[in-house]
Amino acid sequence: MRIVLAEDLHILRDGLVMLLEAEGFEIAAAVSSGPELRLALTRERPDVAVVDVRLPPSYTDEGLQAALEARREIPGLPVLVLSQHVEQLYARELLADGAGAIGYLLKDRVVNADQFIEAVRRVAAGGTAMDPEVIAKLLTTNAHDVPIARLTPREREVLELMAQGRSNAAIATRLFLSESAVGKHTAAIFAKLDLPPSDDDNRRVRAVLTYLNHT
Amino acid sequence: MMSRHTLAVVRGLALAGLGLVGFLTCVLTVVGAMLVVPYPLAVSAMMGLRDLNCRLAGRWGGVAIDAQSRPVVPRPQRRDDGWFAHDKQLYRSPVVPAFLLRLQSLSKDNSLTRLWYWLLLTPLVGGLAVLVPPALVVGGPVAAIQFLPGTASRVAVAVLAVAAGFALAPAMLRVHALWTRLLVPPPTSWWRTSPVALWFSRRWNATWHGGGLAGLSFAAFGGFLLNLLAAAVSWGGLIPVASGVTRVVVDSYRRWARLWTGADLSDPYRPEPAPPMPDSEGNYRVGRSLYERKETAVRAQRHAWIRADPATWRDLLWMALAPIPSIVGVIPATLVSFGFFGLVWQVLWWAPWAVPIGLITGTWVTPWYAWYAGRLIAPGLDALPDWTSVPIGLALTAVGLLLALPSLRLRAFFDRLLLNPTKAARLAQRVQRLTETRADAVDAQAAELRRIERDLHDGAQARLVAVGLGLAAIDRLFESDPVTARRLLAQARESSATALTELRDLVRGIHPPVLAERGLVDAVRAVALDTPLPVDVAVELDGRLDPAVETAAYFAVCEALTNAVRHAQAQRIAIVLRHHNGVLTIIVTDDGRGGAEADRGSGLHGLRRRLGTFDGILELSSPRGGPTVLTMEIPCALFSPKTSTS
Repeated sequence: MRIVLAEDLHILRDGLVMLLEAEGFEIAAAVSSGPELRLALTRERPDVAVVDVRLPPSYTDEGLQAALEARREIPGLPVLVLSQHVEQLYARELLADGAGAIGYLLKDRVVNADQFIEAVRRVAAGGTAMDPEVIAKLLTTNAHDVPIARLTPREREVLELMAQGRSNAAIATRLFLSESAVGKHTAAIFAKLDLPPSDDDNRRVRAVLTYLNHT
Repeated sequence: MMSRHTLAVVRGLALAGLGLVGFLTCVLTVVGAMLVVPYPLAVSAMMGLRDLNCRLAGRWGGVAIDAQSRPVVPRPQRRDDGWFAHDKQLYRSPVVPAFLLRLQSLSKDNSLTRLWYWLLLTPLVGGLAVLVPPALVVGGPVAAIQFLPGTASRVAVAVLAVAAGFALAPAMLRVHALWTRLLVPPPTSWWRTSPVALWFSRRWNATWHGGGLAGLSFAAFGGFLLNLLAAAVSWGGLIPVASGVTRVVVDSYRRWARLWTGADLSDPYRPEPAPPMPDSEGNYRVGRSLYERKETAVRAQRHAWIRADPATWRDLLWMALAPIPSIVGVIPATLVSFGFFGLVWQVLWWAPWAVPIGLITGTWVTPWYAWYAGRLIAPGLDALPDWTSVPIGLALTAVGLLLALPSLRLRAFFDRLLLNPTKAARLAQRVQRLTETRADAVDAQAAELRRIERDLHDGAQARLVAVGLGLAAIDRLFESDPVTARRLLAQARESSATALTELRDLVRGIHPPVLAERGLVDAVRAVALDTPLPVDVAVELDGRLDPAVETAAYFAVCEALTNAVRHAQAQRIAIVLRHHNGVLTIIVTDDGRGGAEADRGSGLHGLRRRLGTFDGILELSSPRGGPTVLTMEIPCALFSPKTSTS
């Protein structure tokens, strides 16, 4: 699996390259600035891009902008965005095109290598990987929201994990439930959030979007 | 057809009766106003009568009259301690505050004046009109029988009168309704905003404002005489004392002149010095003198301050010369008073009071008495007939109105010359303000640095030490006790994660990352998303601001949002960001319970001080029951939006 990596801190970039190569990924390009990233994304067309939000030369959200631009050009290009802080605002922008294949994680999560690698794989496969902190913020700020308020506490837990991008099997292990029980919960969530039937992955992304759009 | 006319006669009679009742209610209301307690009830009766009358007049006269809104009286709010407050006074039961609130709302109700006019005049105008048909129907035949000879003529006149009464009845109902519509609803804005009305009202107001300022000027001249007296009895020593008193008069003149002439008169006095501090021997030093008692020292210092201030002497000069523009200033008011109220209005209003007096006592008062007074002064006017006083009065009024604005402008020119601060005074005030805000800024900065130091010291720094210690232990145990080493490793990892979280929170408090990455607008959007209430953000801001201003504005919005969520119990918040004419305006509105005070809440006070560093201002409008509107303005430049960084 080919990866384009953008991170300006040398030590972190090398660490990530090491980690990803050890897990059998192929690093197509490891760059350290916005313009380089733009070039690499369009030229290499990687299977997944791992991008730091803040990049030189402007040290603003250059990485995020480059990733969004590339996704406009190559729809559905899987992008995993890393940042020192997470914002609902950015999460909303990343998910806005509804194509999925988006990850948005705190840099701290890299420390837990297994989970990080799993997130990269999931995004590359077209799924989502949202940082638990984003989801937590969403839940606290949208507690009054009508469609969200209709969910039972258990369904909310399931949605929280679903929004992080976990599969039904993973949710089942995490909550000590059977997979069919999780399936029932997800069906109930889709119904309560008025999501029309379509293939399951797409609906999972839309469930997250429902969160975001009701803010 | 016939029944419509018959009905109209009866209806007219009813409306005339209602008009009479209205007139009597006015009398009752006057009594109620004197007794105070029944006054709101009497006014309610008046309004009820008006509404009934409007409905009937509208339905019977065929003229639609919109229902008049009653004033909305706020209900007294129970405080947290169970009492009811009104005007800094506490009450156990809501009855008295509710009554006082009602009185207050009545005193502010503009529609009451029109209601009074309408009720008092209706028996004479609309009521008289609807009384004509019944009078013809009943009175016509009676009068014919009484005064006319011969059956034929009696019958002819009686039939004519009755027929005329019936025929006129619907039209008279319409007249009554039109009259009601003319007086009861508020005057249409067409008249108020027409160029003629604006031209007229500007000059009319200027006339009376000129008169008022002339009066204040004469009072100020009195102040000058007081200073003169003080100087004469004390060889000038008492002038600071007298000036301290007259300064109040001049200052109030300044306030009214600002309001009425639009002159840009700002406070010209030097900033008052800080109270003296005792030296090592416990004495207070003011200039070259030492004082034992603080009060004496403060007084001496105040006198020195007044004496040394050039504005004191400029004030004195202004007071001495103030009568000169005032003599010009009272001319328009005098002309309009005498010309319009003396010669024109007086004649128009002569009939309602002089005719009853004349009828009862047999003594007829002349409608021209102001004119006769004028003739006493200028006997040459004897040659003119009395009625010419009306056109002469109108001409005098016109001259007065035409002179009003120029005379006010002359006054404003004179005031600007002497009452405005000199350039040096302006600079002194500016320096004072800068010193204050700089001190605030430095204090705030220092406090902020202390907080950051403490947070780092107790937080991330301590945790990194713990991680280091843990790693050292792991190094030692690596081979001998791998199980414990693994446990310590997990602990170290957790510590480093917590340290990261703490650092993240700290950074957010110093300079939020979104602000650095995206600028003010998106940072405000981000904080709006993180607020547990619906927040609408409206932006008219095309570009970036100075980073320091952005940071201040961002934290100001955060503070306002926190207040709205925590104290106001709001359901919805709206934020407006706007840059216009070199001023950044931030408006935060919430629909909470209101009652916020900028001085009481230390948060808002701190906000005001922080904005002060940027010459920014904060305005708060928060009536009890909401909504709360917080407006902040910071003068600053807007840089054109950065083009794409690619």
